[in-house]
Amino acid sequence: MIGNDIVDLALAKKESNWQRKGFLEKIFTQKEQLLIKNAKNSEEMVWNLWTRKEAAYKIYNRETGFRGFNPVKLVCFYEDQSKGTVSCEGFLYYTQTFVSKEFIYTIAVLEKEYFKYLEKIDVATKISKINGIPSIFDNVSLVVKPVSISHHGRFWEAVTMLPF
Amino acid sequence: MIQKQEIIEQLKEIIKPYVNDKLALNSLTETTDFINDLKINSANLVDVVLDIEEKYNIVIDNESMERMVNVQAAIEIIETKVGEKN
Ligand SMILES: CC(C)(COP(=O)(O)OP(=O)(O)OC[C@H]1O[C@@H](n2cnc3c(N)ncnc32)[C@H](O)[C@@H]1OP(=O)(O)O)[C@@H](O)C(=O)NCCC(=O)NCCS
Repeated sequence: MIGNDIVDLALAKKESNWQRKGFLEKIFTQKEQLLIKNAKNSEEMVWNLWTRKEAAYKIYNRETGFRGFNPVKLVCFYEDQSKGTVSCEGFLYYTQTFVSKEFIYTIAVLEKEYFKYLEKIDVATKISKINGIPSIFDNVSLVVKPVSISHHGRFWEAVTMLPF
Repeated sequence: MIQKQEIIEQLKEIIKPYVNDKLALNSLTETTDFINDLKINSANLVDVVLDIEEKYNIVIDNESMERMVNVQAAIEIIETKVGEKN
């Protein structure tokens, strides 16, 4: 199982005012809000934590079939800028976050070891969607590989896991 | 009691700034999904919730927000919360 989420920082600046009254409270736990408040770059921390939640939500959504908007239920444990976990309703997901000036990108998996088996997918690959959830069907091996897609502004990313 | 059609019209105004596809916005009905049909990005869903809170002077708790992924759920939540005020 896999989840990813990307934020184009320039577009996010245009689309979202994270300093808006009530905004952070609707998305983040008290602890996460403190992380944001004390961060050197609060805006970067907002989107860092947000992409973790969204990436984890995509796994949660695929596994449980549940669809809903309750970001506070996804709780980030922030190890450092690139590593951490997200817990949701008793499930635990591991996250890896890539931060650049232009974007923030997080990939979430079920077990830490799975980060070794990630495979980036290019735009030309045929991706099928069942109930809106993407997969790749390998006609030769008949294996179904879970795919996660994320796009925002200038960026498009899709990722799957190699069979092991 | 606010009429359902009235809420739908008010909702259209509220979500307008977050929708690029104006055609989809015009054909909005109760069954319209904010994300799948209107392509509102999930961060802007928070803005929609905050705008609704401000417009109707209500507080939308996280459990209600959780369900608010389509127009029908939004209407139900607005009706309930406005009703609780009176
Ligand atoms: C899944 C969801 C969160 C993604 O929205 P987003 O961050 O605005 O947009 P992204 O570009 O990152 O993701 C969209 C892609 O995710 C893919 N996707 C949807 N569900 C997925 C899942 N469970 N696993 C992997 N990928 C998924 C879709 O195929 C879509 O790609 P497409 O446009 O090519 O079809 C959104 O579609 C949704 O259903 N939201 C419901 C509630 C919510 O937002 N919860 C957030 C945390 S509480």
